[in-house]
Amino acid sequence: MPGGSTPQKFDVIVVGAGPAGSAAAYLLAKKGFKVLVIERGRGAGSKELYGGRVYAAPLREVWPELDKEAPIHRWVRKERISVVNGETVATIEYTASKPVSFTAYLPELAGWMAKKAEEAGALLVDEVRVDEIIVENGKIVGVRSGDDRVYADVVIDAEGANRLLLEKLGMVERASPENLAVGVKEVIKIGGKNIEERFGLEPGEGLAWVLVGVTSGAPGGGFIYTFKDTVSLGVVVHLRGAIKAIESGAFTDHVYKLVEGLRIHPYFRKLWADGDIVEYGAHLTIEGGLSFMPKKLVAPGFVIIGDAAGLLLNTGYTIRGVDFAVYSGKLAAEAVEEAFNKGGPTEENLKVYEEKLRDSFVYKELVKHRGIEKVMKDPDFFTKYPAMLTLTLGKLFEGEYEEPTILEALLSSAREAGVPLLSSLLKLLWVVRRL
Amino acid sequence: MRIVVGIKWVPNTQAVRFDPKTGTLIREGVPSVVNPHDLPAVELALQLRDRYGGEVIAITMAPPSAMKGLEHVLGMGIDRAVLITDRAFAGADTLATSYVLAEGIKKIEKDIGKVDLAVFGQETIDSSTAHIGAQVASWLDWPYIYYVHKAELAREGVLLVERRLEDRVEWYEIELPGVISVAMKALKPRPVSLIRKIRVKQENPVIVWTNKELGLDTRCIGLKGSPTIVSKVTFTPEVPRKKVVYKPRDGLDAAVWLLEQLAKDEKAGKVIERAVRGEF
Repeated sequence: MPGGSTPQKFDVIVVGAGPAGSAAAYLLAKKGFKVLVIERGRGAGSKELYGGRVYAAPLREVWPELDKEAPIHRWVRKERISVVNGETVATIEYTASKPVSFTAYLPELAGWMAKKAEEAGALLVDEVRVDEIIVENGKIVGVRSGDDRVYADVVIDAEGANRLLLEKLGMVERASPENLAVGVKEVIKIGGKNIEERFGLEPGEGLAWVLVGVTSGAPGGGFIYTFKDTVSLGVVVHLRGAIKAIESGAFTDHVYKLVEGLRIHPYFRKLWADGDIVEYGAHLTIEGGLSFMPKKLVAPGFVIIGDAAGLLLNTGYTIRGVDFAVYSGKLAAEAVEEAFNKGGPTEENLKVYEEKLRDSFVYKELVKHRGIEKVMKDPDFFTKYPAMLTLTLGKLFEGEYEEPTILEALLSSAREAGVPLLSSLLKLLWVVRRL
Repeated sequence: MRIVVGIKWVPNTQAVRFDPKTGTLIREGVPSVVNPHDLPAVELALQLRDRYGGEVIAITMAPPSAMKGLEHVLGMGIDRAVLITDRAFAGADTLATSYVLAEGIKKIEKDIGKVDLAVFGQETIDSSTAHIGAQVASWLDWPYIYYVHKAELAREGVLLVERRLEDRVEWYEIELPGVISVAMKALKPRPVSLIRKIRVKQENPVIVWTNKELGLDTRCIGLKGSPTIVSKVTFTPEVPRKKVVYKPRDGLDAAVWLLEQLAKDEKAGKVIERAVRGEF
């Protein structure tokens, strides 16, 4: 097998074998397109540091066999939201009648998706970094890796949130700290039976838990997810607000201490008592959302999907993007096929992808959650309001002789937490309307 | 030149943890990699081929999952690969492994053509015996030299190799066919190339041999052919760290500070006292 540079030509090159890239590659290969997928990591999904919740319905549109075949850990039946203030914890629990999301390790899930694409006939090459998207006469014609050039009629950019290729093309600006969040998590192995007993779950059922007030005053939140025999716990802190909080002296901890604080918190620690920490990691993510979306998602011979297209939603306590990514991959595959049928992947013909995306639930979700960005900027949300809530409940439930009325409890708690009651109620209303 | 290069598919020991209770490796969920010390051997073989022509064949005895590792070295530029895989080979020590590899090389000579050179890495990250190169050379009755940093043809049929030792550099000539082991980190392995990897996927240049093809005596392979007995493994107990950081002004300051700290320690303090009294 000689080396050298015999030209290689494909119908479609997909850069990145994450959920978005694999969905697009799978659907196009199934339609008979000659597809090459190039992945930088070792194996698909190997760069992902994520175990979390994934919404199933959009994935089923691509892979109807999802429920039977995918590496699903637990179907999320129980949702909890807790507001934490020191040792006091206020929790709301909701048990769903029918689970719509599941927990999974993203490397496993992405591996499954990539295997599906390969089985459908896509050629997957890993451990290879694409250095550049090749542009000739205003048209995107292929990719370059080292000295190797490979050509295709369409290049689909699914490179993820770290958009080095798009930056080189001049299609996006470099992400500033303003757009970034840092996540730290631990995975603790306690065994499936313990998970079901300690979290009150039936076998195969899972729990997703969102925590407010565990970030020492920095904007962000915490999460707890249950997997087959492990629990992951972590915090996400928004850099934008964290920098301000550090400057004002409100936030002094190292971010890893926040996760440790959660692990040894007297209320939570018994949930993973005697467990073994099997994984520990930190990860810089983008906040995503509409402000992160490139101005154009198509160019001649070029489509941008997944995180690279800004299609993720980082709400501070949970990152949602796998379902968006898969769905954008599906829409891109449809658009590419239609463009070929209309005479070729010109920008004009590919534009249908942007239209499809705008009409989809993905875009609507992003618009709906736009308000969260403002919430994330307001430090009161991570300090004063959690305190106010738990103080109020404390006064209601911990009165040894006299029990105050709810209004009395609210008023005195607001005073103690340092927020005027009326303005905080208004703010709360304002936020609720945007969430 | 036809060069065979040996590859081992090993658990990534950086990710392996020990179970202190049972003293065994926790291999669960640990990804395997091509033994990193084999990559300089691959690089040297490729450099020789690039310079003198011919082909490089990778050989490994491993479970089928090692295909992934072979894809990696094929992506680097190896021409084709032989995967020797059979349950009968499982549980092999270095003797049984080197026997199978030597027989594999003989079969390559029979099926493909004369082999001029076999190249191995210095050792593996999961067992560090450094046996395989020497043992394969013994089975084949070929000359062997290890700790090689560089190699070139001195003349037809003779390889000139450079060994870098702590205090000197040595050059040896070895007659071909021969076996060499390449020193750790002797050469920087080249990256995987996109076009080669595409070809690997399209052409799959991996030959798979089981013991049906090799036909080796089952008493000489696998667990049965392995006289090595691991009698006991002990692990260094984890020492709880005191997590004290001191930034000394200079060496003397560091020594004084350290001595002070040790003097405060009950056990070390007594030793220091005895030293001061001149009891040593």
